[in-house]
Amino acid sequence: MTPGMNGPDPAAKAPETLLLPRRLRAPEVPGLFREVQRRAEEGPLTLDFREVEEFDSSALALVNLVRRLFPGVEAVNMKGALARAGESFIERPRPAEPGPAGRGWGLGRFFGGVTDAFLLRVKAVGRFLAMFGDEIYHLGVYLRERKGVYPGETWNQLYFMGYRSFPIVCLLIFLVGVTISITSVEQLSLFGADVYIADLVGLAMLKELVPLMTGIILAGKVGAAITAELSSMVVLEEVDALRTMGVVPEKYLMVPRLLAITMAVPLLVAMADIVGIFGGVLVARLTFGMAPSAFLDQMMNSVGWSDFAWGLIKTVVFGWAVVVGSGYKGLTVGRSAEEVGRATTESVVLSITLIVLIDCVFAFILY
Amino acid sequence: MDIIETRELAVGYGDVRVLDELDLAIPAGRISVVLGVSGSGKSTLLKTLAGLMPPLGGEVRFAGAPVDYYSEASLRTLYGKVGVLYQGGALLNSLTLAENVALPVRMQFPEMPLGVVEDMVHSALAQVGLASSAGKHPAELSGGMKKRGALARALILDPEVVFCDEPSSGLDPITSASLDDLLLSVKETFGMTLVVVTHELRSIERVADRVFVLNDGRLHFCGESADLVASEDGFIKTFFLRKDGHDDT
Repeated sequence: MTPGMNGPDPAAKAPETLLLPRRLRAPEVPGLFREVQRRAEEGPLTLDFREVEEFDSSALALVNLVRRLFPGVEAVNMKGALARAGESFIERPRPAEPGPAGRGWGLGRFFGGVTDAFLLRVKAVGRFLAMFGDEIYHLGVYLRERKGVYPGETWNQLYFMGYRSFPIVCLLIFLVGVTISITSVEQLSLFGADVYIADLVGLAMLKELVPLMTGIILAGKVGAAITAELSSMVVLEEVDALRTMGVVPEKYLMVPRLLAITMAVPLLVAMADIVGIFGGVLVARLTFGMAPSAFLDQMMNSVGWSDFAWGLIKTVVFGWAVVVGSGYKGLTVGRSAEEVGRATTESVVLSITLIVLIDCVFAFILY
Repeated sequence: MDIIETRELAVGYGDVRVLDELDLAIPAGRISVVLGVSGSGKSTLLKTLAGLMPPLGGEVRFAGAPVDYYSEASLRTLYGKVGVLYQGGALLNSLTLAENVALPVRMQFPEMPLGVVEDMVHSALAQVGLASSAGKHPAELSGGMKKRGALARALILDPEVVFCDEPSSGLDPITSASLDDLLLSVKETFGMTLVVVTHELRSIERVADRVFVLNDGRLHFCGESADLVASEDGFIKTFFLRKDGHDDT
């Protein structure tokens, strides 16, 4: 780049002239832009194209941008191919004038953005709660009228949610039972209180760990599957097809899943409680020789049927949260395949968040 | 008599108006073709007419009565009168073809005797030439078979209007022509109204009674298919010439 200057006279405010180089292509443009920017801020400027022979679209874009940013800059001697190319260059549409909230980069814009994001979240929560209410309504109507759901679909879902989830739930809960027992027994033995391992494992499993772990496993396995399936149906227009057939998709698709999870969870919880406690029994037997019968006797001193029942109720509520949360994410997805993946991930996060929130509420109620 | 009328209809997504100020009159018992380049808003218009998307402005009247897109009862009435053939068929993958076709009947009339449903399904599938594939799942069907199956599902409850979203897309010319024949036979046999969204020139020539051409967010042309072919309008001539070239390649 060889910028040239012709007789600057600051007193007369005559425009400076920047003689542009013969070659004006993408490699030259950034440096030239900085030069133009610097000079344009000092006063009027003329860009002289008389020596330009080689150019590309970046040069035209530069002229366009400079004219827009610095109205005092003038381009002269654009002739021949350069002039024709300049005329055919299609200017990028200008972004719409921002509203008062979106103007500037200061605190106003920051708080405007935060407020917008907050309102979007509030709207999403509102839609989710509305869907939760709708699902309860659809479930009630279905139980009364037995219409609007494909026959046998509930059993298909029960097979998937219950039978197919059974091995992974049992395996993980057993391992959690073993882990919690090993870590606890070491501490309890310091005080000669090894025997209380039974109380600890029993209470922790029945009231907290089994419901929480089962809910999280359901979120990952069942919730992700529901979102992936429903969002694919949305993308493939199957949900639209249901609607135009007079079928309410929110009922047809969600009610069997809600019924299935309600039936599957008690069975899962019962088995999970058994294997979790069995993990504790095993550790107690192997570490300090506590007999299984003694373990169970000790456990029953501090654990009652109400603990089992509360654990069951909690897990059913977690299951509903997983189904409605993942169904909400699935049915409100956009229309692209990319969004299916995003919705599936978001559904797992939403389900686990809901589970932890609900668990927190139960903690206030129970303790 | 016009079964669907629109007045100053605006359709689109969010605040974006894809089509504006549409005054359409879709005649009963005939095949109306909505034509336009990709992205001209054909499918969006179809979804609005079928009750799946509320309009951004204006009014839609179905059989003389205005459609209230925010009233569940009004939409339910509309859904009871229309069938839709979606671009990809939109058959439910978890059900067999017969179960898919039976779905509208079993959902809307759960008390319908199973034997009646089975007969209805067989008849509908036979009409589209798929009676022998009743037990197959959508994944086992070809593209043309899926569309014919979806047409059978759209027709099973004898709707007054069937909307077809690009029925020929992705099909070879022979399969496409047989689907066109099927649409013609539906019109002639049952006197149904069909609204077909397409940009396939051959389909338009074969099936269209009335043609609506969309361009630049507006209704560009409305008339009989013969008028369209004879039109001297620059856009239409360009469109047809290009489509001709495209189809022949």
